[in-house]
Amino acid sequence: MNAPGLPKSFERDRSELPNPLPRPEGEFEGLKKAWEPPKGISFITAVNNTYVGLWYVGTAFLFFILAGILALIMRAQLASPESDLVGHDLYNQLFTMHGTVMMFLFAVPAVEAASVYLLPNMQAARDLPFPRLSAYAFWAYFVGGLVFFCTIFFGLAPNGGWFMYPPLTSTKYSPADNADWWLLGIGFIEISAIAGAIEIIVGVMKTRAVGMSLDKLPVYSWAMLVFAAMIVIGFPAIILGTLLLELERAFDWPFFIAERGGDPLLWQHLFWFFGHPEVYIIFLPATGMVSMIVPAMAQTPLVGYRLVVLALIATGFLSFGLWVHHMFATGLPKMSLSFFSAASTAVAVPSGIQVFAWIATIASGRMKLTTPSLFVIGFLFIFTLGGLTGVMVAMAPFDWQAHDSYFVVAHLHYVLIGGMVFPLFAAFYYWVPVASKRALSERLGRWVFGLMFLGVNVTFLPMHITGLIGMPRRVYTYPVGMGWDALNLVSTVGAFMIAIGVAIFLVDMARNFRFAGEDNAGNVWNAGTLEWLPNGNYATRSIPSVNSREPLWDQPDLAKNVEDGRYYLPGTATGGREALVTSPFDARPQYILQIPGPGWQPVLSAVFTAAFFLLLTVKLIFLSVICGVLAVGCVIWWLWETDPGPVRPPADIGGGVVVPVYVTGPMNHSWWAMIVLMIVSGMVFTCLIFSYLFLWLVNPMAWPPQETVLPSVAWPLAAAFLYVVSAALILWASRVLKGDDRRAPRSVPILIGVALVLVSGASAVDLWAQWRSGLSPSAHAYGAAVYAILSLQIFFVLTTLVMGLYTIARWVAGRLDSVRRTTFDNTMLFWIYTTGQGLVGLLVVYGFPRLGGGV
Amino acid sequence: MAGRRTLQVLVMLGGLIAWALQFTLIYGVTSTLCGRGWADKTLFGGGVVPVTILLSTLAALAIGAAMLLLSLKEYRSLQHGTASAVDTFMNQAAILISGLSLVVIIWHGVPALILPACA
Ligand code: HEM
Repeated sequence: MNAPGLPKSFERDRSELPNPLPRPEGEFEGLKKAWEPPKGISFITAVNNTYVGLWYVGTAFLFFILAGILALIMRAQLASPESDLVGHDLYNQLFTMHGTVMMFLFAVPAVEAASVYLLPNMQAARDLPFPRLSAYAFWAYFVGGLVFFCTIFFGLAPNGGWFMYPPLTSTKYSPADNADWWLLGIGFIEISAIAGAIEIIVGVMKTRAVGMSLDKLPVYSWAMLVFAAMIVIGFPAIILGTLLLELERAFDWPFFIAERGGDPLLWQHLFWFFGHPEVYIIFLPATGMVSMIVPAMAQTPLVGYRLVVLALIATGFLSFGLWVHHMFATGLPKMSLSFFSAASTAVAVPSGIQVFAWIATIASGRMKLTTPSLFVIGFLFIFTLGGLTGVMVAMAPFDWQAHDSYFVVAHLHYVLIGGMVFPLFAAFYYWVPVASKRALSERLGRWVFGLMFLGVNVTFLPMHITGLIGMPRRVYTYPVGMGWDALNLVSTVGAFMIAIGVAIFLVDMARNFRFAGEDNAGNVWNAGTLEWLPNGNYATRSIPSVNSREPLWDQPDLAKNVEDGRYYLPGTATGGREALVTSPFDARPQYILQIPGPGWQPVLSAVFTAAFFLLLTVKLIFLSVICGVLAVGCVIWWLWETDPGPVRPPADIGGGVVVPVYVTGPMNHSWWAMIVLMIVSGMVFTCLIFSYLFLWLVNPMAWPPQETVLPSVAWPLAAAFLYVVSAALILWASRVLKGDDRRAPRSVPILIGVALVLVSGASAVDLWAQWRSGLSPSAHAYGAAVYAILSLQIFFVLTTLVMGLYTIARWVAGRLDSVRRTTFDNTMLFWIYTTGQGLVGLLVVYGFPRLGGGV
Repeated sequence: MAGRRTLQVLVMLGGLIAWALQFTLIYGVTSTLCGRGWADKTLFGGGVVPVTILLSTLAALAIGAAMLLLSLKEYRSLQHGTASAVDTFMNQAAILISGLSLVVIIWHGVPALILPACA
């Protein structure tokens, strides 16, 4: 398949280098200047993935340490029976915070952060496609996470356990703000995780080295792609769950209150639809790292590349089958139980495939016993043990025995520490030479490994027994004479061994980590992948063309030629920051993406977004709304500078390859991001419809409840008509806005304006119809569900409104025409989505009760 | 070009998507029917629950098998021409994934069929 517009020479002869020597004067300086990070206080506005990535990893690690300290306090309390170091209430806050912080503020952000740093380097991209979006995700997480953590110092920390089951967390049993902190804090941090996932998907698919086709994609990129897809599918469930629970707590909409038709089980479904995949969401990136480290240490390519990719994809799918698995003790039909036992064993198969691939690779090469290798071996050992106890927990009868005992605590830590913490430490020791002038110390590294490995086993192995002889989890103390004393003491000693190991790691970092601009420690492991090319703030001097999975092993002189600027795009075509966008399958150059540089916008919008959520938690509604408006304002200010249009004619990037500096339509990177965002929104909506149907299921003969009057069908028909016409107007505007002649017809803003009125009218009609029927959202779960669907739709219509007005403003400012129309395209995509969601919502809300006839 | 790629991805993931549909259908239908006490109704002369399980499992198997056959056919034609590395890769991934999906679909369907509904 010849891509259109590519000269024959590109197809024929890859061995000929695209750009000749010597390079023109000033070319390299121009490149360096474009990528220079800001100085002084503005330093925090840097958006280079290398800076943001490191801050991000550092912050995640900080949360690991903070949550670890909480764990030490708990272990100190449990070291001896009847100890009174911490009381009952504080202990509840401690384990809730430890679990929550480890899962939400450490594990997921850490792997996402590592990929912000690693992915572009590994794919020889200059940066991620939306650097400001990653900066935003980072700052939102940084501010929101720290404030959330500080609640523990004020006794405000959540205390309902890390999965926050209602009714324990409903207003009746948790009247104080603690639970709200969890709901708003975590809901918000999930949004930042989704922003990161969008970035990763578009980054993996569209910004790669030339010729890095899907069959040559590093396994790590595959793992991150599946990871991001899982976030996109799984996280909306928890976002919706937190939203519903918060609506219940704030406005008394009874989704989970059984007396008024709600059901606490709904929370468990939503939570675990996210929660079980979560374990794999954390685990997959870690396996991706291991699949990069093992070949480098064994100095031989990964055995079974295809099978490993298969395993990653299969894990991504199958792990979603596990969601009800966590509800064994809640009395679902036996058959469902068998179903979930089947799913748990099925998901073990792909994990097994990966383990065999690593062992085969180790066996076929000669493994050097470096610190990264040690951590990988530790990971294999601990994770396999965790997997075995996992199979035990997956057998339904055994689960009833072990449920809520220390056996589960032991299992969960084996899986999480083995599956994620050890690979992460392996990754630290392995990749620090890319980011730092010096590698970490091998001698200290062995101590870190030894202490952590022994510590983990000393802590958690005895817990299996403590659990089997009856000690329940989440107890702040226990009486003498239960036979639990010695085992608990051993566990506590182990916990402190881990802590010493981590402390030595920090010493090692302090002694050896020196941020490297251009003079990093280099390819110390003689690895084969592109992150080991010489690089600087601009990433690699030129963008290589690769023809294998380990180009540094197979293409001699690659590093030198890249550094000399003999590959693609050795300078800048537009004078600013750029990335080369490549086609998603074959990685052929498509166009030059003009990337925005540093700016205060992402930092400020992140701070205001965080403030909005945090102030909402403490019910300072007015201030919170101000911050919300400011956040939206900052986002608009930020977007205003994007969509630069074709600032110059297509540019020659070397080897006769001429690519445009601006494209629109389905090839465009933001079109892709928009599609992913629509999938996220669609998942939130699907989960909401699921909730509606679930509540219907648990309310026989009361759907709608007896006294409810359904609005006449005329209302939804009118609303549907308005939705459809508004979307049609937008499509019409899109047709008017076609052509290469940079026209900006006056009819475009008019059409958008009319469509805005219609779409607002549609949701107003919908709202009015329910309102005048007298339906109350707080009387019964039926009303709550209806109003939830309606509110979500209104939120989308409001967003459409902002986007529509923004698009009109672009037209007025002369920043929108038939060529420069990415802004319009994005608005159009969102509009179509909102229309679709609105129509389905109308169908369910007005159609379903008539169909079901109250059964 | 774009259409061909979409097709490749669909063939590659088709088996697993079929599994997801089978899963959702079985779970949704049984919990609705059992939850509402409608499980003793009949469909095509059998109990409604086992019949849905059987039908959705067969349908999912059919989809998975179709993907497998399609990709095996593609495999043979790729042997002759000068296929690009990506095409070969996508094709082999499709074979592996649809093969695995068949096992997973059976793995889920059979125990569901054997066990009594709603117990
Ligand atoms: C590094 C050493 C660690 C130690 C010593 C430790 C210790 C503990 C202790 C004592 C508990 C409370 C048990 C109870 O009272 O029920 C606990 C709970 C928990 N830990 Fe850890 N932990 C460690 C690391 C981790 C990591 C790395 C993660 C996740 C990535 C994690 C996730 C959890 C979760 C989810 C809970 C359950 C919280 C709940 O019951 O709501 N832990 N841990």
